[in-house]
Amino acid sequence: MSVLVLLGTRKGLFLLEGDEARREWELQGPFLTGWSVFHAVLDTRDGTIHAATNNEVYGATVHRSPDRGRTWTRSEELGLPEDSGLTLEKTWHVEPGREGEDGRLWLGAAPGVLFRTDDAGESWAPVEGILRHETRDRWYPGAGGMCCHSIQLDPEDSERMYVGISAAGVFRTDDGGESWTPANKGTAADFLPEPWVEVGQCVHKVLLHPGRPGRLWQQNHCGVYRTDDRGESWERLEGNGLPSGFGFPLALDHRDPDAALVVPEEGAENRVTCDGRLGVYRTDDGGASWDLLTDGLPAPAWGAVMREGFSSDRLDPPGIYLGTQSGSLFISPDAGDTWTEAVAQLPPVLSVEAAEWS
Amino acid sequence: MVVVVLPGILASEAGGRKRFELDAATVGDALRSLPVADRVLDERGQLRPLVNVYVDGRDARERGGLEATLDGDETVRLVGAIAGG
Repeated sequence: MSVLVLLGTRKGLFLLEGDEARREWELQGPFLTGWSVFHAVLDTRDGTIHAATNNEVYGATVHRSPDRGRTWTRSEELGLPEDSGLTLEKTWHVEPGREGEDGRLWLGAAPGVLFRTDDAGESWAPVEGILRHETRDRWYPGAGGMCCHSIQLDPEDSERMYVGISAAGVFRTDDGGESWTPANKGTAADFLPEPWVEVGQCVHKVLLHPGRPGRLWQQNHCGVYRTDDRGESWERLEGNGLPSGFGFPLALDHRDPDAALVVPEEGAENRVTCDGRLGVYRTDDGGASWDLLTDGLPAPAWGAVMREGFSSDRLDPPGIYLGTQSGSLFISPDAGDTWTEAVAQLPPVLSVEAAEWS
Repeated sequence: MVVVVLPGILASEAGGRKRFELDAATVGDALRSLPVADRVLDERGQLRPLVNVYVDGRDARERGGLEATLDGDETVRLVGAIAGG
C-alpha cells in the first residue's frame, strides 16, 4: 500500500509518493506548468489524475493524465450554453463518481455551476438543475467568485448528492441531479441584513462522513456546522474551544463520524491563522468540544490554508495533510496528533488530496 | 500559407508544436483551425480578452479582430497579455 498526495499549487501540480508509514516522501513535478491547479484528484477506479486548471489568459479547463503526470489531455467540450447568459469563469473541484459508475465524474466551477461527464472527462455537460435553479437570482459571488467547490456523493444512495456553492449555500439532490433542494436551514448569513435565508449562505467547505452518510460537516463563512439529517437542519458548533468560526478547510476521520478537523482563521476581515500560529482544531465528540493540535506545526505563523488545502487518507490511523499558502505541506500520520513539514518552498498550495493505491 | 506561432504554454497544449502553417482567409479561421482553439477563443467563439493576436506585427483587434482578412502569407503571433504574478 502506498499513498499518493496531489498538491495543486498556483504554479502547477506536484505529486508526493510515500509508503504506509507516511514518514518518507518522494516529490515529483511540477506538472501542468503555467496552470493554477485549483484541485487535483486521483480517480482510484482507473488510476487517472484529473485536475481543475485555470490560467488568467487562457481560461478554465480540466486536464487528465492516465500515467501519473507523464502525459496530459485537456477536456475540450466544456462550456455553458448561450441562452444561460453565463460563461465559464473558473474550474474548482473534480469529484469521481462511485464504483460502478464508469466514466462518470462531476466538476464544480464558477459561476456556480456543476458539470457531469460520462466519458471519463472528454466532454462535460452542465447540470441543468443547478444552472437554471429557481433561486439563482439570490446567489452572489464570494471573494473567490461564485465557486462550486464541494461535491459529495452519498455512498449508500446512488441518487443522492450534495454541492456547496459560495455564496449560494448547500444544495441536495435525491434524484440523481435532476432537481436540487436548498439545504441551509440553521446556517447563518451574518453578512446579510436578514441572516436566516433560504439561499445565499457563504459555505466554504462541505464533507459527508462515509460511514454515516446522513451526517455532513460544514465550514462556513459564519461558523462550523454539523447536520445529522442530510442537510435538513444544521447545528452551529462554536463557543466550545474554537477561537473563531471563520475558516476554509475541513477534514474528517473516516473511522469516526464524531471526529472533524478545521483550521480557523481570525475572521473575514483578517484572514490569517488564529493567535499567530498554525494550529489544527479537532473534535472527537461531534463538535461539542475542540482541542488545539500544534505538535510539529510552526509558530509564529500567519500562512493560512485554502479551502481545498486539507485532506485525510483512509488508513488507520488516518493521515492528515495540510498545505499552506506559504508553500509548505505538513503531514500527520496519526490523525493530527503530530506533524512533520514534508515539503517546503512550493508555490502557494491551493489543494491537497490524498489517495491510497496498491 | 499563413504561419501561426504559439506561446510556450499553448505549444505545450498542442503536443509541443509551436508553429503551424495553414490555409485561412481570416484571423478567426486561423485560430479556429488550431488544436488549442478552445484556449484562444471562449465558448462563444470570441477571442479571450487577454489573448493578443498580432498579424505581421499589428494588433488584429485594430484590423477587425477575428474578421480581419488574411492574404495567405502573413505570420500570426499569439501573445498572452502581461498579467498575473
